[in-house]
Amino acid sequence: MRTRALGAALVLATSVAQAQSPETLAWLRKMHQATQRLSYVGTFVYQNADRTETSRITRYAAGDIEKLEVMNGVPREIVRTRDTVRCYLPDSRVVKVDRRVDRDFPALLPEQISALARHYDISLAETQRIAGLDCQTVVLQPKDNLRYGYRLYADVKSGMLMRADTVDAAGKSVETLMFTQFTPGNVTPDMVRPRHEGKKWRIEDAGAAPAHLAGWGLASELPGFHKVTELKRRLGESRPVGQMVFSDGLAAVSVFIEPLESRPDRAATGLASMGAINIYTREVANHMITVVGEAPAVSVQRIADAVEFRRPTQ
Amino acid sequence: MKDRISVLMDGELDDRSAAQAIDALAAGSQAGSQAGSEARDAWRTYHLISDALGKSRMLSEGFGERVAAALAAEPTVLAPRRLGGAREPRRWAALAAGVAAVSLVGWLGFAPQQPAVQVAKAPTPVVPKEAKPAVVALPSGTNDYLLAHQAFSPRMSLVGMAPYVRTVSEPAREARR
Repeated sequence: MRTRALGAALVLATSVAQAQSPETLAWLRKMHQATQRLSYVGTFVYQNADRTETSRITRYAAGDIEKLEVMNGVPREIVRTRDTVRCYLPDSRVVKVDRRVDRDFPALLPEQISALARHYDISLAETQRIAGLDCQTVVLQPKDNLRYGYRLYADVKSGMLMRADTVDAAGKSVETLMFTQFTPGNVTPDMVRPRHEGKKWRIEDAGAAPAHLAGWGLASELPGFHKVTELKRRLGESRPVGQMVFSDGLAAVSVFIEPLESRPDRAATGLASMGAINIYTREVANHMITVVGEAPAVSVQRIADAVEFRRPTQ
Repeated sequence: MKDRISVLMDGELDDRSAAQAIDALAAGSQAGSQAGSEARDAWRTYHLISDALGKSRMLSEGFGERVAAALAAEPTVLAPRRLGGAREPRRWAALAAGVAAVSLVGWLGFAPQQPAVQVAKAPTPVVPKEAKPAVVALPSGTNDYLLAHQAFSPRMSLVGMAPYVRTVSEPAREARR
């Protein structure tokens, strides 16, 4: 384990010299296209320091519909169509509905892939076998300590991402997503239909809509992280919150702003973490600020500390 | 010697004792040194234990965070000690111990902000000016925040829907809400 960490450090160090060749960017594009183009059924494992969870993912490419079923832990099923994400929770008989405000937003566009080179050194490493497929390793090494690194393993033939490790500054994986079984093709619309569709469960619609959160902003932006969207939505049963999303093209950090009076309880000020996700909570101007992001604790905290409210002048 | 190796791994040995322990470890790689091979065995065993712990699910809730908080209060723990006037091989060994300490922190799911990797290149370090934050439990309704956040994560397009598996196992709380 120790020697592997050292090895990884050496690989990362030597990779700096040949970073960002057109070939490495081509690999990122190939991965991106594969996730858009392929229909498949796969079993994959999510692992962080505290737990391991197995899920099944089914994608029907012609309709751009994906279904995720979590096989252990809290039972849940998430179905994403082009414009909606529905999360079915059998335990509480609730369906959470989230309409996508900007349907094109999450797509990583080719020009954004080139822009990633501003914050990450991107290089190719060795090939590895994952779920029976030969995979090319692509390493994204952050240029500062404000973002995690990534090791991505893509099927040499199809470009499909078979494994993604989120790596901290010490080169250790904080989170792994890995296919243990992957079968491309032969997916019918039936296979991505929600199992719990049509049941009379309570529907919690987030009612997300683009909005200008008057007065709210960051005193200073975190280097590389720019505001990509700003909206109003409902959280949980019906708490109104504002949400601002900041991203460097690969990592994203959300700032949730909610009036203290609508919170069921007062959350403690401080940092909580789970795998690659860090959550920092604090109060600003009678509002609870919850910052959630797949970024190192320092980034999430700095964004949280920069949140400010300036009474709009008019 | 075993005790010393353990303390060395924790980075709590004073310079002189650390130098002795490291010398013993170095001697262990040559045949014929009883103390040296004992030291090396201990070194391997203790790291095996820490690795095994890393794979187990038996850590109590928040263990990583508590350790992280304790480490945050003592930031020097993460950095390899400077051994004044140390000979060349000794410094290498100390560096290796430093890397091991960082890795040990790594498996706890904590991201130390002193990257060992960046030693190799010219970094643009961003030093947090804030005080180290209090470590708290995940806020109630964490899954709602995660669901709302993940819809906007650009990584989604690389990993498909995979980030949606990130939820908190809190069936009791979820059912009650």
